[in-house]
Amino acid sequence: MDSIISVQNLTHTYTDGQNNSVKALDGINLSIAPGEFVAIIGTNGSGKSTLARHFNALLTPTEGICLVNGLDTSKEENMWQVRQTVGMVFQNPDNQIVAAIVEEDVAFGLENIGVPSEQIRPRVEAALAAVNMSAYAQQAPHRLSGGQKQRIAIAGVMALEPKCIVFDEPTAMLDPKGRKEIVSTVVKLNKEKHITIVYITHKMEEAILADRIVAMEKGKIVMMGTPAEVFSQVELMNKLGLEAPLAAEVAFHLNKAGHKLPANIITHKELCKALCPSM
Amino acid sequence: MLNDITLGQYYPGNSFLHKLDPRTKILATFFFMAAVFIAESALSYGILLAFVFIVAFMAKLPWKMLLKSIKPLWVIIILTLGIHIFTGQGEPLWQWKMFTVTREGIVLGVKMSLRLILLLLISSLLTFTTSPIVLTDGIESLLTPFKKIGVPAHELAMMMTIALRFIPTLLEETDRIMKAQSARGADFSSGNLIQRAKNMLPILIPLFISSFRRADELAMAMEARCYRGGKGRTRMHQLVYGSRDGVAACGMAVLILVLCILKWGGTLWAI
Ligand SMILES: Nc1ncnc2c1ncn2[C@@H]1O[C@H](COP(=O)(O)OP(=O)(O)O)[C@@H](O)[C@H]1O
Ligand SMILES: [Mg+2]
Repeated sequence: MDSIISVQNLTHTYTDGQNNSVKALDGINLSIAPGEFVAIIGTNGSGKSTLARHFNALLTPTEGICLVNGLDTSKEENMWQVRQTVGMVFQNPDNQIVAAIVEEDVAFGLENIGVPSEQIRPRVEAALAAVNMSAYAQQAPHRLSGGQKQRIAIAGVMALEPKCIVFDEPTAMLDPKGRKEIVSTVVKLNKEKHITIVYITHKMEEAILADRIVAMEKGKIVMMGTPAEVFSQVELMNKLGLEAPLAAEVAFHLNKAGHKLPANIITHKELCKALCPSM
Repeated sequence: MLNDITLGQYYPGNSFLHKLDPRTKILATFFFMAAVFIAESALSYGILLAFVFIVAFMAKLPWKMLLKSIKPLWVIIILTLGIHIFTGQGEPLWQWKMFTVTREGIVLGVKMSLRLILLLLISSLLTFTTSPIVLTDGIESLLTPFKKIGVPAHELAMMMTIALRFIPTLLEETDRIMKAQSARGADFSSGNLIQRAKNMLPILIPLFISSFRRADELAMAMEARCYRGGKGRTRMHQLVYGSRDGVAACGMAVLILVLCILKWGGTLWAI
């Protein structure tokens, strides 16, 4: 038991009001090591959010098991421990901030788990510092930019000192500047604080930063491996409705046209080097 | 950053009043309201008015703000005065057709409108010197002892907090929707009242739908951050009474005592 998150044969079926059932996840097996940075990609409706919500017991498996730090998420008594271990940041920054003052929002999780008052402030300050938002502690959230709001949401999770943070398309609603802020924050948390990251995204230039990429399709994992391994399979990616990074796409078409470029080209830099080795 | 809707009427400052514990201010406001109903003689009304003005002076509030706080109810105040003046019983001072003005009527009218003015002023003083966020903390703390008899103290406070957080967001959204609907040819500024109300539907429906979606997502985000109601919850800011609050309580006690003596003192003497 080395992995922080381990799911075995996980199936999740949603049942709606009219008793229609949707099998959103179908026999998922995945384990994530402590400190790892895993990106999950896949088209809309492929089950990424459903999978992510199992990691902190917002959903529980219909079949199979989901273990977080060895704790079974389907057991009621583990729920709070699980949610402290795995934090979650959602897509819409507006809809996850509870309080009308930044520092009170960051304190929200700590207040919920009953941390004594005198210990709350230092942890709030540390969390705000971790996302570079200390200067905004007294601000009203609605005055902040999207990227800043999203960093407040991250601070709110960080205050709980989780081992792992799940990000569900955190940049989907942000402008390019906000997107950069979030991506660099995520990378920093992973590299400096050794927090395990599960990062759901549609943007391949973000997924490329991960140690491992998991591609999903119709509730199943269809590809898994390092960014180089996954993105160099351009044909398969396109079949799944995903766009490989531009460099991988170019390399693929050049190779198809008879040029002999090295395998596993995914970044612009690698492509440049392969095309003009003298540069 | 301070001039916005979540601050309500709050007038930021650093005075004695601003620094008082919100619980002290809320309780003092209630006691003052009770005092207003004890007062009977002209002297006691004078004392109450003087008290309000001293407090307003201590809070360093602009006088204009105090006047403004009476404004929303001035019609009712004038009406109260008028009705009492013209319908009072007693010895007529002046008569014209069916209207009779009596001395008793004038006195009662002035008293009643003074009461209204005093109530307005004192509650405005509370909201001028306390931000809604702090007020929420105070209300939660004051209601907590009544949890046992079923008062949902934490839930009320959480509702107020979330309302304060989302009012600006929803206002922005309303603005956005209005612009979007105007761009599609909606007209919000012409037609009669019913027509205009009907024209608001294209704003309200999208607003409702998005609010429900927001509520759903917020609930999920709160759960993800270990929210499970008020049980076992702690607070970052703990309210603590200071010596200031003792001083304020003494001031209030003296005021009530003086008013009681003015009202019942005579009978005490008689015994
Ligand atoms: N609350 C729900 N009730 C019913 N079906 C749902 C619910 N949430 C998601 N689904 C369905 O489950 C599938 C996977 O959804 P989701 O996990 O949100 O995908 P993704 O995040 O990859 O876009 C979709 O077909 C979606 O329609
Ligand atoms: Mg999703």
